[in-house]
Amino acid sequence: MKADSSTPEESADIAKPPLPNPPAGLLVVVGVLGLVFLFPVGYLVWGAIGLGGDFWGTLGSQQTLRPLRNSLLIASSVACSCLVLGTVLAWLVARTDLVGRRIWRLILALPLVIPSFVGATALLSAFGRGGLVPFVPRVEGFWGAFLVLTFLSYPYVYLPVLSRLSTTLPAMEESALLLGSGHGRTILRVVLPHIRESVLAGTMLVFLYGLSDFGAVALMRYDTLTRAIFSARLFDRATSLLLGLVLAGLALLVAGIERKSVSEPRKAPGIGRDQVRYRLGRWRLPSLVLVMMTGGVALAAPLAVFLFWVIRGSSTIGVGYSGITDGLGFLVGPVLNSALASLVAGVVAVVVTLPAAYAVARRRHFLSDLASASVTSVFALPGLVVALALVFWAISASGPLAAVYQTFPLLVLAYVLQFGAQSMRASQAAISALPMGYEDAALTLGVGGRRRFLRIDLPLVMPGLVAGGGLVMLSTLKELPATLLLAPIGFQTLSTRIWNAAEDGFFAEVGITSLVLILLSGLLTWLFVMRREFRV
Amino acid sequence: MKRILFWALLVVFGLLGAACGGSEEVITVYSGRTSNLIGPLLEEFTENTGIEVEVRYGQSADLALLIDEEGDRSPADLFISQSPGAVGFLAGKGRLRPISDSVLSMVPEGFRNADGLWIGISGRVRVIVYNRDLVDHSELPDTVFDLTEERFRGRLAVAPGNGSFQDFVTAMRELHGEEPTLAWLKGLVENEARTYANNTSIVQAVGRGDVPMGLVNHYYNLRAKAEDPNGASENYYFPDQDVGSLMIVTAMGVLSTSEDPDRAERLMRFMLSDSAQLFYSEQTFEYPLAAEAVPSSALPPLSSIGLATYDFDRLGGGLERTKELIDESGLEYS
Repeated sequence: MKADSSTPEESADIAKPPLPNPPAGLLVVVGVLGLVFLFPVGYLVWGAIGLGGDFWGTLGSQQTLRPLRNSLLIASSVACSCLVLGTVLAWLVARTDLVGRRIWRLILALPLVIPSFVGATALLSAFGRGGLVPFVPRVEGFWGAFLVLTFLSYPYVYLPVLSRLSTTLPAMEESALLLGSGHGRTILRVVLPHIRESVLAGTMLVFLYGLSDFGAVALMRYDTLTRAIFSARLFDRATSLLLGLVLAGLALLVAGIERKSVSEPRKAPGIGRDQVRYRLGRWRLPSLVLVMMTGGVALAAPLAVFLFWVIRGSSTIGVGYSGITDGLGFLVGPVLNSALASLVAGVVAVVVTLPAAYAVARRRHFLSDLASASVTSVFALPGLVVALALVFWAISASGPLAAVYQTFPLLVLAYVLQFGAQSMRASQAAISALPMGYEDAALTLGVGGRRRFLRIDLPLVMPGLVAGGGLVMLSTLKELPATLLLAPIGFQTLSTRIWNAAEDGFFAEVGITSLVLILLSGLLTWLFVMRREFRV
Repeated sequence: MKRILFWALLVVFGLLGAACGGSEEVITVYSGRTSNLIGPLLEEFTENTGIEVEVRYGQSADLALLIDEEGDRSPADLFISQSPGAVGFLAGKGRLRPISDSVLSMVPEGFRNADGLWIGISGRVRVIVYNRDLVDHSELPDTVFDLTEERFRGRLAVAPGNGSFQDFVTAMRELHGEEPTLAWLKGLVENEARTYANNTSIVQAVGRGDVPMGLVNHYYNLRAKAEDPNGASENYYFPDQDVGSLMIVTAMGVLSTSEDPDRAERLMRFMLSDSAQLFYSEQTFEYPLAAEAVPSSALPPLSSIGLATYDFDRLGGGLERTKELIDESGLEYS
């Protein structure tokens, strides 16, 4: 972009030359990507038109407006709370002398893997009259849904910000501190602007997830648009499809707003030295309490409930059929399937959405903005809608898409469609924070295009990509509707087992399977996300 | 890069494995009954006949939508549903083929479709589940219509989005007329009935004492007691053939696109055989439907309940109208 500026403070004030157009090859790739991610919305439009749905009539009816208001309320409240919680937690474990930060770093990522209907059931069983801890009041309705969704989805902010913090650049912070800027001011003026992209990206993911969730809001008895979509799906298809479109529209609106607030690529100073580590001092104890409470509410409480179910139910094993009576062998297949599917989906999602993320972050073009919007729109849709859309396209297509119907590749495509927004936004945030100076240096040295990308950009953004892949991996581990409808027949995952058991009240089995799911996600997150990339 | 390559290879081998795994005799089942409630039976069928059963589990309504979306290219041979609503939906779409008389005759009339498009497997009875610490048995109403009375204000849980509740409302419409049904639904709203996501969450809430009573299917509480024998929830059956004690069947139908309907019928016959019917009553606490099977001793005999008599065949149709009535009453928005 600009090779002349020597200090970061100046760079913001210097007029920027317009970014060059992206290369044609990249644009083609990005365009195709955008088209593929339009499958779900295309299905909704096609279906709604075919059934003669009345969009404005449905949108304007009281039966839509109230749930719509609730959807917006819950999604934005949860987004706000996760913004704060996720950012603070990431900073605490990445940049302070918090006790046990290494282990917290892993633990705090894991609540994302708990399916929301399981988390809600666990919370309902944990507190209040008849619960495990009767003296703590039970919450339901808005606040119940708010609690469950906050504690299960703050990792959407936490992981990208953590990855960003482990690669941000100590020089400016050191200079600020050396020049006598206090810790608070340094964080506010130097650290926050650096992680801004990641915070915003994560917050938007939380908002979209809040729109799409059905399990937590339904069990907490909070009426949202997803309830209306599910309730109408069999006998009032047109309404169901139109309400799906409303969610997609909301996603686009919010993505557009967020897009406006994302800054142009900035120039940033060097990288690779030890990070500045802040001493917490008298904040040591309160910080530890916050981290422990989050871990406690989001992970330990559900774990305790799962254990309780297992112990309570195991004394009655043999009354009624349950998989548990056969020992734990029945979980081996689901564990392997879950691990395989989530790792493949994570890697594919990152690779596939990387061109769009790069194009949007570096070379703005209307085509890349469109692609980004179409990727984003899918994440606000309930998984069932995405799954049925894929069924529709695969069945009506001939050729390769039809041939893969209900095979593993199509299942992976379903995961990537649903969760591509996560990897795209995490990658985008990482790329836009990439120091432009390297590109200039590379150009000066005659290293251009792909080679520069592979040798310079990619290693620098790797932590961000891995964080995005980790989000997709954890989301895939708990994914249900697409797995049920599109997996190769007989392909059971841990989450389909949990659903099977929960559906008819086999709580001991729900408990043991959920425990295994959390263990597996911890192992995978440590092996593939934390161990290699976040060397803080 | 190496890691990506490794996983790519794994996928390829996985696909090869899947492609080579096919055996000669296979039947594909889409099942709304969960694996715990049917898996052991299907395994037994394979052992007995050598026919492999491939099952896709899911919510009955979602699987019905899936089959509808798949159209002529549906790989499914047999659809098993938790309630008549979803099979009725497919029957209405012309996606089911008539079942042969020899299978149909295994189940009494009223538990199957008049055109022979679907047939009942097992029965669940609508009940009130109540918390014995919060509700005295003598307080419980004689008819479901009494639940709109003042004394039940704020004390009743319902799951209006649940298929069984909707089937029950359909039966009420057919037996008592549309206006009384709508009035009853509106009465529930005025009486501050609490809405829940599904039967299981109602039984849990009643067991904890969140809400004193709820309208559910009978077997959920038996399941809950199996997990937690000290739970405070009990079942109450409405007397005197009240529509509140309607029996709802789980049902199955052969797809019109099935390539081997005979094989599907073999599985149906097995599902209605004595050993399978015994499994439902002993293991899943349901009422067997096949003419000769006897319900488990853990269940109150049907003769003592005073079951609502209703032609289940009619439950399949008319659910659109039921949905409209529920929407009109505003029950789902409370």
